[in-house]
Formats: sequence, structure tokens, C-alpha cells
Amino acid sequence: MSAVLSASGLHAGYGTGDILKGIDVALEEGRILTLIGPNGSGKSTLVKTMAGLLAARQGEVRFAGECVNDWSPPRRVQHGLAYVPQEYNVFRNLTVLENLRISHEFMGGGKGEPLSPELAALFPGLPARYGALAGNLSGGERQMLALACALTVRPKVLMLDEISAGISPLLSTAIFRTVKSINARGVSVLMVEQNAIEALGISDTCVVLAGGRVRFSAPAGEVLGMKDLQSLYLGDAREAGA
Amino acid sequence: MLQTAFNGLISGVIMTLPALAVTLLFGVLKFPNFAVGAMMTVAAYLAFALNAQLGWSLIAATAVVAIGFGVVCILIDQLTFKPLRGRSAITLMVASLGLGFILENLARFAYGNTARSFAIELARPFRFLDVRMNHEQMITFAISTAAMIAMWLLLTRSPVGRAMRAVADNPQLALVRGIDAERIIRWTWFITGMLLAVGGVLIGMDRALEPPMGSNYLVSVFGAAILGGLGSPLGAFAGALLIGVASELSTLVMPPNYRIGIPLAAIALVLVFRPQGLFGQPYIRK
Repeated sequence: MSAVLSASGLHAGYGTGDILKGIDVALEEGRILTLIGPNGSGKSTLVKTMAGLLAARQGEVRFAGECVNDWSPPRRVQHGLAYVPQEYNVFRNLTVLENLRISHEFMGGGKGEPLSPELAALFPGLPARYGALAGNLSGGERQMLALACALTVRPKVLMLDEISAGISPLLSTAIFRTVKSINARGVSVLMVEQNAIEALGISDTCVVLAGGRVRFSAPAGEVLGMKDLQSLYLGDAREAGA
Repeated sequence: MLQTAFNGLISGVIMTLPALAVTLLFGVLKFPNFAVGAMMTVAAYLAFALNAQLGWSLIAATAVVAIGFGVVCILIDQLTFKPLRGRSAITLMVASLGLGFILENLARFAYGNTARSFAIELARPFRFLDVRMNHEQMITFAISTAAMIAMWLLLTRSPVGRAMRAVADNPQLALVRGIDAERIIRWTWFITGMLLAVGGVLIGMDRALEPPMGSNYLVSVFGAAILGGLGSPLGAFAGALLIGVASELSTLVMPPNYRIGIPLAAIALVLVFRPQGLFGQPYIRK
């Protein structure tokens, strides 16, 4: 199976120092890959670099067979590389409908109904909240809206940064179920997650980052079966990988 | 009293377009553009050149200058503000002050300090409810109201307007929602330029064309935008009317020279008691 999104030898960071120090990751088409690792390991930096919000200093990001290092974030999105940031992932001073409409219009969908019947079935709670200001939504509703916005134009790849952060366990389970449904519709998913157990439960592959490098990667089921799984994302990645 | 209130209403209406321009630009680029006064002056002189010097009708001159000045504003942004993108609002504000000095003195260099007027036919004022109104005032009222409605429709009903609000809300998220922020910034400057050009012509119709004509309105325009709520077109309109009427009515109880205190007092009171202004939404912070 071919990689739809990959990073090879990727270096990126803020200021003078590199946070990513030569990352190699590949997301295969139709699969779910979860990135885990301790705080500061470079997970969010990696997805930001892949989304184009941060420049690659060395190495290459390839998407759908093309090197996209020089592509702007809007160009990546319009070619099907959707990204849901960890926080502030909706336009809080716009209504729910305006959020959906703007995503649909600018991600390449043009005019027309932003929420297709397929998406309406995935996010049944959204139409009732169309007129609400997105900033007034609950945490779960906001995450659902962010997901729906990223999907208004069917992407090839969906990158999610801590989609379950700050919401109740019940809602979190619902969100992971939704992510699995999205994947079942043919969208490849790259997730950064602290909630590793639930995330790995729906994933095909797990990649563990530590110190800006890949410590190891393995099938998600295998990682889930590890006795010392917690140490992978609480900081002792080297030991767990040994 | 009624006549004074009406005159104040028209003064307020004249401020609506520059107040809209201030509120729009502040929303997207997050800095107070103190060059708006001088920009209006330059645009008004350009319309004067076409109207009084080349013999065009004022309507045609205004339409051409509005579009042309929209393009000029895009160029000003590319040369002046784009290189400073990402710097603090203070840096951009200082740059706008410098730009204002340059533009105002360009107008002074070209036309001197002598007051000039547009070539428009004088028409006899008419009376309604014992209030004397002239044709220029009616035109001013109609154009400003139409511009306010057009802006509201643009911001809420068009993709470009929604994108402007999205960039104002969260520029990074706008990028990953496929919005080309630089394109939206160019649109913002274009619309700002059109508003300022028409605003400059309206001021020139009401008063006279002279180099400080735009700068004289600066405090009132910022007062109107802040009172109405920065980012709210409806607020800019209401703020401009309130400031205009209050400033004019203040001349009944104090010397006219002190009416500049009204917008200053409005800015101070709003910032203390209702920072979002009358019609602005309490901004949901990140």
C-alpha cells in the first residue's frame, strides 16, 4: 500500500532550535496512524509542518506523490490535506453555519450546501445549532464542528491534533467513533493524541516520538498490548521501545 | 435646536464611511490606521482634478476615483504595511502616522493651502418641518446609508466578507481553511480605499478641499468607530451619527471649539464602561 502522506528526514522548529530532528513517518492510504509521545516530543510541530504552518528546514513532506514543501497551507488544503488544530479550531466569532460555509467555499467546494447529507448524518447535532456563535458551543460541539469543517470538502487526508483534549470521556468516545466512520469512508487519518488507549483502539499504526525523533513504530494493536504503554507517552519512550 | 440636530446628523453621516473603513481595517489587520484622514484628502483632490479641472461630473469623478483609490490603497499596503506584517500594532500605527504626513503634504505640494471647491451646481435649499436642508446633505445621507447596507451585505452574505471576518477572528485557522490571507488583505484595502474616497468627496462637498480636511475628522472618526464597536459596520454608522449629533448639540451650551471633546469623551467612556462599544460583540478571546 502506498503512502499518501509522508515526512522524510524532516527538521522544523521555532526560533533557532529544531524541534523535529530528522523525522521519518508515512501514512498509508486508507489507514489511521496515531502519533504519541511525551509533551514536547514534537507531535504538534510535525502536523503543523505537514499542514504548512511551519516551514520544513530540512527534509521533505510528500502528499499524494508530490513534494509539498513549497506549497502554502491553502494550497495543501485545496488539494485534500485537511487539518484540525488542537485549540482555536473554529472561528469563534462566526456562527456555526458561517464556519461550515467558509470551509466549504475556500477549501474548494464552491457554492452550495456546506453540509452534505452524508456529513449531516455524521454530525446530526450541528444543523440545530446553525445560528449559534461557534465560540458559545460546548467543547464537544466545538470539536464536532471543527471536524465537520475539515470534511466539508472530502479530503484525502485528515490530520487531527488532540481532537479529544478537554472534553468528557463519553464525548471523547463519540468523537473517536466519528473518526473511525470518517476513515471508513476512505479518508486517511493522522492523529496526535494524549488519549492513547482510545486512539490506538481505532488506529492501524502507532508512531512514538520523543525528543523530536521517531523512537519506534508498530501496529497499533501491538502497542496497545504493551504492559508499559503509559510510559510511551509519559516520557520514558526509550525504555519502552527497547 | 432641530436645525442643529439635523446639521449634527449630517456631520455624523459624513463620518460613517471613514468610520467603516477604520473598523474594517482594524478588524482584519489589527492596527489603527491614522492615515485615513490624509487618504481621504488625497482621494478628494483626485476627484477635484477630474471634476473641477477636467470637467467631469462629480458622480463620474467619484466613481472612477473610488475604484482607482482602492487600487492605490492596495499599492500603499504592498509598499508600506506588508513589509511590517507580523510586527506589533504600535509599529504599524506609527507607520500609518508617517504615511499620513506624507500623503497630506503631497496634497499640499500639489494644490497649496488655498481652500477649493468641487464644481457642482448650487441648488436652492428646501425646508421640511422648519429644518433647512440642501441637496448635498440629502446626497450625503443617501450615499452613506447605501454604503452601510452594502458593507453589511458584503460582510455577512459574500464569501469575501465572511473570509474577512474569519481572518480577523483567527488568521492561522483561516490559512488551514483554505483562505489566502494576503488576498483577503488586498480586498480589505481595496474596499477601504473606496470607502475613504467617497468619504473624502462627501467631506469636500460639505466643507471645502484643503490639505487638513481629512485629518480634522480623525478624532471624530475613531470616536465613532470605537463608540459603535470596532468591527461592527452597524456600530460605525450608529457611532458616527451619535458623535455627529452630540458634537453639534454641544455647541448650544459651549463654544464650538470645544466640540472635539465629545468624541474624546466618548472614547474614554466606552473604553472604561463598555469596551466592545454599543454594537460590537464582546470579543471571545482565544
